[in-house]
Amino acid sequence: MIGSPSMPTMALIDERALGERSRFWRRISRWPGWPGVARALGFFAIAMIYVPMLWLAIMSFAESPLSGMPYPLTLGNYGALVEDERWIPPLQTSLVMSLLVALVCMVIATMVGRAITRMRRPGGVLLLTLLPLFVPGLTMGAALFIFLRTMLGLTMGLWSIFLAQLIWALPFALLLVLVIASRFDLRLLEAAEDLGAPPWRRFWDIEMPLLRPGVFGAGVFGFLLSFNELLRSLFLRGVETTMPIYNWAMAASQQSQVPIIFSLATIILVVTLPVMGLFFWFLFVKLDRS
Amino acid sequence: MAAALTPTRRAWGKRVLDRLTPTGLAVPAFLIAWSFLVIVPLLVIVMFSFFQVKSYRIVYEPSLATWETLIESGRWITAVRTLRIGITMTVIELLLAFPFALWLAKGCKSKTVKALIITLLTIPFFLDTSSRIIVWRSILGTNGFVNTVLMSSGLIDEPISWLLYSEFAVHFGMLGTYFPTMVFPIFMIMSLIDDDYIQASSDLGGSPGQTLLYVILPMSLPGVVAGVVFTLVPLMAAFTEPQMLGGGFVNLLGNSVNSALQELKYPTAAALSTVVVALLGLCLAALIMITRKRFDMSTMFQAIQR
Repeated sequence: MIGSPSMPTMALIDERALGERSRFWRRISRWPGWPGVARALGFFAIAMIYVPMLWLAIMSFAESPLSGMPYPLTLGNYGALVEDERWIPPLQTSLVMSLLVALVCMVIATMVGRAITRMRRPGGVLLLTLLPLFVPGLTMGAALFIFLRTMLGLTMGLWSIFLAQLIWALPFALLLVLVIASRFDLRLLEAAEDLGAPPWRRFWDIEMPLLRPGVFGAGVFGFLLSFNELLRSLFLRGVETTMPIYNWAMAASQQSQVPIIFSLATIILVVTLPVMGLFFWFLFVKLDRS
Repeated sequence: MAAALTPTRRAWGKRVLDRLTPTGLAVPAFLIAWSFLVIVPLLVIVMFSFFQVKSYRIVYEPSLATWETLIESGRWITAVRTLRIGITMTVIELLLAFPFALWLAKGCKSKTVKALIITLLTIPFFLDTSSRIIVWRSILGTNGFVNTVLMSSGLIDEPISWLLYSEFAVHFGMLGTYFPTMVFPIFMIMSLIDDDYIQASSDLGGSPGQTLLYVILPMSLPGVVAGVVFTLVPLMAAFTEPQMLGGGFVNLLGNSVNSALQELKYPTAAALSTVVVALLGLCLAALIMITRKRFDMSTMFQAIQR
């Protein structure tokens, strides 16, 4: 892993001249098994993420999902899910809310992102926008709740969930736009200005096409981050329910509700995992090439 | 009619758009709104923790009563426990993530494998946690998978009870959730380390261990700091894992904030939230003190720009 065996060491070190301890450490550090250990540690952690998901899918077919053994297999949980209609409104709320958050993220991130690259001292603006990354979701949710509900006396609802999710998603969206915008060559805009293009055309015809990957990335991140956001929406929901809140409430309530959660979560995973996988695959392969 | 109207309207709209320069109006307006949504609420909870609730009404008179009851009722033990579990998990994740990030950045030669692992590590960040965490109940419970297998194979006579609803279960459930936030920053910084440094170190006779200690570790320190920050921040307010796997035995600050809000004890919730932020601030300050010589924020932004 460190240093390559194909290229020999140029400096000759007489190891016999070294002390007992440093010889010991040199031998240890040269053990060829270290990369294997590193890989095993990482794959163990990744398994901790994906084994539960796999088990979730298996147990969604089990008669009693919270028991240890999956068989006897049954489609009963899915049947119960179809008959139960209480999960449909939360899903709709989540979908609409995430689309809205994605859209607003795209607009604000583009606006602020391209401005930041043009500022002489962008540090303050950047730090202020990224601040929510350094505050735990629960604290932010509680703080927003106390501020809006108790200090301002407002009624919580979809609008407050929207604000909470925007605060969470925008920093990431901004970072994505920044990555692309910081590579943008400002001379292109000067050239367009010299050719007589008004500001709006300069933005829409020249800047926007080059920023598009970042802007779309911001939208996708905004959607995904908002779709599964629990901690902030939990406090700011009022009487509204989103999908993660529904999931959480069902999972935390009596065990009789749990089977439905298993099949519902499995369906959502089966739909979202391949889409997300493909998206991030393309994102990283493309970023790697550029 | 419509055809005649559209051009003038468009021209007017365009003129408005032309005047909307980013630094002129949009950014200051955004910053003001953003401060109202982010900074003011955080200041308000600090302030709020000095108020009291009497017969369901908030008394806006500064007093230390909330803080006193917090200490007297023993809730400060929750803060200590949260800090302990948070730091333990951060250390565990760091031990798991550092070697793996090094292998991923320098050892893994296949670009496909690299992209695949990065994809696998990114996805969980966007997934709903509660349904994934509750599955552990079915694996770790008294009649869960592990106990059933161990019992039927005759290794144990009665189910191991500490597997679920214990601190062990909470730690175990956290392993996967907080791993990607630790690996990613370290991996990003390590990818920026020029291979020539590593080669030079070995050319000069440095053993792999020395290269690790004197070349790679100092150069990847900003990534380690970022990883620790982004792991410790959510851990200090961990909510789902202790709620679902702790079974009421492992009460953390996150759960306390939630129950205080549900009991309409807003000042208590505010005080507990303040404790979370204060503890985080202390941890970050300590971290910066330790790594001050080596730490340079600009490297983080270089990493983002590349």
